Amino acid sequence: MMRSSVLFSNRYRLAAVSWGAVCLMLAITLAWLWPRATVNSSVLALLPHQVLGQAPEALQQGFLQRLDGQMVWLISPGDAASPAAAAWWLARLQAMPALKQVQGPISAQQQQAWGTFAWQHRNNLIDPATRARLAQGGAAQADWVLAQLYSAFAGVSSQEITHDPLMLVRGAQLALQKNASQLTLRDGWLMSTDSAGRPWYFIHGELANNAFNMQQSHQLVQQLTALETQLQQRYPTARVVTRGTVLFSDYASQQARHDVSTLGVATVAGVLLLVFAVFRSLRPLALCALSVGVGALAGTTITLLCFGELHLMTLVMSLSIVGISADYTLYYLTERLIHGGQVSARQSLHKVLPALLLALSTTVLAYLIMLWAPFPALRQLAVFASSGLIAACLTVVCWYPGLVRGLPVRPVPATFLLARWLAAWRRNRTVKFGLPGLVLVLTVIGLATLKVNDDVAQLQALPQPLLHQDRLVTALTGQRADQTWFMVYGASAQQTLQRLEALAPHLQQARQEKWLSDYRLLPLASLQRQQQDAALLQQAAPAVMARLRAAGVQVSEPELTPEPVTVPAWLASPQSEGWRLLWLSLADGRSGVLVPVSGVNNSAALARLADSLPGVSWIDRKSTFDQLFGTYRLLLSGLLAAAVAVIALSYVLRLGFRAGLISIIPSLLSLGAGLAALSFGGHSLNLFSMLALILVLGIGINYTLFFSNPRATPVTSLLAILLAMTTTLLTLGMLVFSSTQAISSFGIVLCSGIFTAFLLAPLALPSSKRTPS
Amino acid sequence: MRKRLLAALALVSLHAHAVTLDDLQQRFASQPVVRADFTQLREIKGMAQPLKSSGHLLVAQDKGLWWQQAQPFPLTLVLDDNRMVQVINGQPPQIITAASNPQMFQFNHLLRALFQADRQVLAANFAIDFVDQGQGRWRIQLTPKVSPLDKLFTRITLQGAAFLEQIDLSDKQGDGTHIVLSHQQLEPKTLTDDEKQRFVF
Repeated sequence: MMRSSVLFSNRYRLAAVSWGAVCLMLAITLAWLWPRATVNSSVLALLPHQVLGQAPEALQQGFLQRLDGQMVWLISPGDAASPAAAAWWLARLQAMPALKQVQGPISAQQQQAWGTFAWQHRNNLIDPATRARLAQGGAAQADWVLAQLYSAFAGVSSQEITHDPLMLVRGAQLALQKNASQLTLRDGWLMSTDSAGRPWYFIHGELANNAFNMQQSHQLVQQLTALETQLQQRYPTARVVTRGTVLFSDYASQQARHDVSTLGVATVAGVLLLVFAVFRSLRPLALCALSVGVGALAGTTITLLCFGELHLMTLVMSLSIVGISADYTLYYLTERLIHGGQVSARQSLHKVLPALLLALSTTVLAYLIMLWAPFPALRQLAVFASSGLIAACLTVVCWYPGLVRGLPVRPVPATFLLARWLAAWRRNRTVKFGLPGLVLVLTVIGLATLKVNDDVAQLQALPQPLLHQDRLVTALTGQRADQTWFMVYGASAQQTLQRLEALAPHLQQARQEKWLSDYRLLPLASLQRQQQDAALLQQAAPAVMARLRAAGVQVSEPELTPEPVTVPAWLASPQSEGWRLLWLSLADGRSGVLVPVSGVNNSAALARLADSLPGVSWIDRKSTFDQLFGTYRLLLSGLLAAAVAVIALSYVLRLGFRAGLISIIPSLLSLGAGLAALSFGGHSLNLFSMLALILVLGIGINYTLFFSNPRATPVTSLLAILLAMTTTLLTLGMLVFSSTQAISSFGIVLCSGIFTAFLLAPLALPSSKRTPS
Repeated sequence: MRKRLLAALALVSLHAHAVTLDDLQQRFASQPVVRADFTQLREIKGMAQPLKSSGHLLVAQDKGLWWQQAQPFPLTLVLDDNRMVQVINGQPPQIITAASNPQMFQFNHLLRALFQADRQVLAANFAIDFVDQGQGRWRIQLTPKVSPLDKLFTRITLQGAAFLEQIDLSDKQGDGTHIVLSHQQLEPKTLTDDEKQRFVF
């Protein structure tokens, strides 16, 4: 006895010291990792990587980053047109280190350089309409040239017709104009006029730093806001509208920060008050804080080790979930509170250990199911929560028997009420059948009215002013933020261009089918196509010239020597102004080009079109995400059903058929009640509510298991569960008040489910047979 | 006494006949449909002979402008509120909409403004110099004040009396276009079915 006790004591000391060493290592690792880690707040990072189809990952990321780095400003001076306010704004933007490539007016020099390049390479920059006319022979092109010549408003000069008798430059220019947005050129500025007649001047730029750094984003947004105030002081009638992903991501991260600080503070205060009320001692508070702290430490460190970064949303949700780890401390402390007088600290641990480990393993398993989700943030959440919970539990097991020495022993508060509650479950048929029956009725009503909505927009609660600005920019420029593109890619720049040319006729057809209303094709042909064009020109030129001469237009022979345009040369020229964004080449030559598409009617048909062509993928971020949400919601439903079946089976095997089935009822009804509450609250079912249900199942089982622990007394279990439930509601309940709908519906399902699980847990009381009623 | 009265009346009527741009606009506004023939002479510097073309045109206030060149080759141009259509020699019509090319569309509004003496559109784009030439004749000189018009034209001159009779465009490059309208008809005041078809594409 003595020997084994010493042995046990040694083993215990070893465990405590080892765990201390592990914690120290975690702390050191975190201290090293933290300054190097990024806290990611991009909503994009929450979403799966594979949404861009088969295209090379590096191209996808390159494009996404570039698109997210775009900024557009429209500045209106008031009712009268004057670029002064816009010029003032431009100068301020150009001075900001957070921005690069800020551009406003187009200088006469730039316009001239544009013309020079267009003329020099006219034989190689053939537009589709000219190509079609040339393909019909020279007559069609000649008619077109004549029509331009005779038109009083076309402004063809003798210089133009002498230097470019086939009017190839003019054709290419008209094609580009057709592609242009709603913006017109005035005093060198791109500008637009709104419905009230106010002129708006266009400025665009990029973020100097592509990485989404919360701090920098927030600084930039603040600087821009301050600048707007200055602008309005200087030009009282002036107005500015801005478009940029950075505005939305900054809003999201500020929102999350707000959630963390206010909800976090409220949560901690609530838990502390509750624990103090029950134990009337400060030490349990310190112990709760210690286990939660160690949990948070381990969660943060291990998540950073696995992913190299932390998503802000992970941090918000994980910290609340790790708060659940206070349950373990509470369960142990409750045991000590009641039985501390009779048994030693280690004996108490021995008593609660099976239930504790069973509870930990089921909960951790429930979280690990989230690793299945394709969303990086959810995987982070799974890793964070499970490692945090394990660490918190180990802290209780390894350290607390030593730390609780001398903790006051008091009678259970409100023993009388708790005992009556348990007795009611045994004797009162109204409670035993009525309560589950009532929950069942509510569940059925709730499920009947439950709506499903996989809209990804729920991830973000977007503020009206930002949406309003975005709509205004769309109306003024005609450039939508539709986020729908074809991405064409190839092993080389030329292969990419050839694939783009193969896609073009399909796009035209898609427009006829009304699958889309418009698209923008890069106005550059592959070298292969340029060669074909040169041959076409040689063939058609004599006929064009003959017809022009017959009409009395005397011009010299056209110069038809090709001057092939390569991608790098084009990108370096002023011709690619406004198009460069759409082209991306990697160091190894692999290239990609985006074809922006607007007015999509049939995303599925466009996806099929992309699948049928090599090197083309269809990108419809929102629709793809919505689809993924739906798919994974179904997948999780399946997993949940499987988990319930396995748990039911284990109950039946352990407790027998009848008692086993009765024991699964609280779990089933807690899931149903969670969904019913969602429906009554006017929310709809989505992926996030499914994730909450998995947690409800995991936590609900804890309660059943605490109750069915044969070594514990029912009243102790009830008190521990009551405390655990209250702290859980205090921590996760705060999520209900989040301004992000997804998080708030997550909180609603969790709270109502867990409360129901608590309410119905006595249904699984094993002692009903033993204790005579 | 009678002579005096007549003289006074003549004086009054003479004053009443001093034309203003507003009068002109009012007069043109009371002409819902104008049909006319045109001859156009386009002189391009460095080209031996001017390009001469002729045909018919129709301006309907509620429909737009229909310009049909018959000589030396057929070409039809139709401008309405939101489209610009050009048909050459039986080729498929080229349609430009206000949404697809607003820059080009400025010309559309301008052309119609020229034919209808739309003061608002003209004043937005040009410095206007209106000259009453006596006997009901008038001349308007328009100097472009916004781009891209100022890149194309140095001056646009309109002349006429009861109708718009002549349009002269002088290009920035020193080229010029001279359009003469004749055989103006105001009747019938509405478009015939045949004429309505000209605006359908």
